[in-house]
Amino acid sequence: MLALYTAASGMAAQALAVQVISNNIANLSTTGYKRQRAEFQDLLYDHVRQVGTQSSNQGNILPVGIELGLGVKTVGTPRLMTQGNLSSTSNSLDLAVQGDGFFKILMPDGSFGYTRDGSFNLDAQGRIVTANGNVVQPGITVPPTASSITINQQGQVSVTIPGTTTPSVLGQINLTRFINEAGLQAIGDNLLVETPASGSPQDGLPMQNGYGNIQQGNLEQSNVDAVVEMTNLITAQRSYEMNSKVITATDQMLQTNNNMHT
Amino acid sequence: MENASLVGLSRQMSLQREMEVVANNVANIDTNGFKADFSLFEEYLMPGARDGNFRVADSPVSFVRDRGTLIDLNQGPLQRTGSPLDVAINGDGFLVIRTPQGERYTRNGALEISPQGELVTSEGYQVLGEGGPIAFQNQDTGITINQEGTVSVKDPSNSTVAIIRGQLRVVSFAQAQRLQKEGGSTFSGPADMPPSPSTKSKVVQGALEKSNVRPIIEMSRMIEVSRSYAMIANLLQSQGDLHKASIQQLADVPTS
Repeated sequence: MLALYTAASGMAAQALAVQVISNNIANLSTTGYKRQRAEFQDLLYDHVRQVGTQSSNQGNILPVGIELGLGVKTVGTPRLMTQGNLSSTSNSLDLAVQGDGFFKILMPDGSFGYTRDGSFNLDAQGRIVTANGNVVQPGITVPPTASSITINQQGQVSVTIPGTTTPSVLGQINLTRFINEAGLQAIGDNLLVETPASGSPQDGLPMQNGYGNIQQGNLEQSNVDAVVEMTNLITAQRSYEMNSKVITATDQMLQTNNNMHT
Repeated sequence: MENASLVGLSRQMSLQREMEVVANNVANIDTNGFKADFSLFEEYLMPGARDGNFRVADSPVSFVRDRGTLIDLNQGPLQRTGSPLDVAINGDGFLVIRTPQGERYTRNGALEISPQGELVTSEGYQVLGEGGPIAFQNQDTGITINQEGTVSVKDPSNSTVAIIRGQLRVVSFAQAQRLQKEGGSTFSGPADMPPSPSTKSKVVQGALEKSNVRPIIEMSRMIEVSRSYAMIANLLQSQGDLHKASIQQLADVPTS
């Protein structure tokens, strides 16, 4: 009976939902993490009796047909790019983006990664780098003597050099936007990379043309809502159970057949 | 075989189909915009029994057969997601999408933006507005979809006005029962039933319509199906036993 395979597809889908939920919960306090959700669609249908066909030569039409669905499929696990809360850290190199846009990071292989995780540091050469030591683009080098780094909302980086009274501007941190942010591919380490689905990267200045602003001394928390995830987990677990019950019931029906003796 | 066995078999066959319908409903318990199916049964009267030996002139035999599956078009619960590209339709309307096979209709409003900036479904099919696909520009922020389905974005130079990017096409059908499920949360309509603009629907942004499968109903139906199936099997069994006993006893020729 097809019901066995239909229910199995339901169990597989719910197992995947639990996988996605568990990753969200595991990243509850990952800076800049955007939660994912599993999206399902029904599989194709077996049209046993076509709706709308003629049931008599007088032109009577079947108002309903027999459609047997064959289960469920996962269509995607899109990332929800909503704003996470900002938490104040008072660390001058902790940056959060409020609004749209990603920080652009130069990866060791020469390609670019994009992140909302703005917990930056200085490396031995004084460059602004991520926690993994990858340089934030465009590269900005802070002189060793400089003190009190200020990054304003437009992304302008300025420092105070001892012996001078006016702060000197070192550079400008840009943000990058994509037309379809959900189409970016996650590669771990809080990094996302461009794909054919995301569209090409659009670099721009913060606070202009729809780009978000930069908040110094803040970090963007993950946008995972623990309550939502727990409710989703319960739903997924119960749905999984229900699908297994269908398998049991179908199995019992087949067993009934086998138990008939002649 | 006897008529009772044939009647029992007809019921068992329809029960198997009903189980498949239940299984599909349960499998799609978490599918956005999914509409549950119901099985419809009807009595089929056969004027005379097939089995000539037991024919009685005035007792027609009634069989059961499944006449069709009915789509339960009731509204599913709306779940808040907070994502600006999620829309749910409150009412009888459907979104119109463009697939390679032609226009299809869906209530699954988990939408995305394509690399070209167009509003698409999770499978990448364009969501149609009144004037064709709805496209966004690179610098667009703050996508708002109001309850009439007007899609607008913030004007970067003037925060008090919105730039309109399109109007979602929300349609309804005179006889929605005649829609056919196509999989992928989509429906297709017959050629003689054109869609008309829905007047009773509201678009809700930041929410998704969940599946309208009611778990308790499905579980009860499942129990009912498997129990009825076993009951019919018992009936068939006793019919068989009866047959066996009669053959044995009738064939029991006195040996004296």
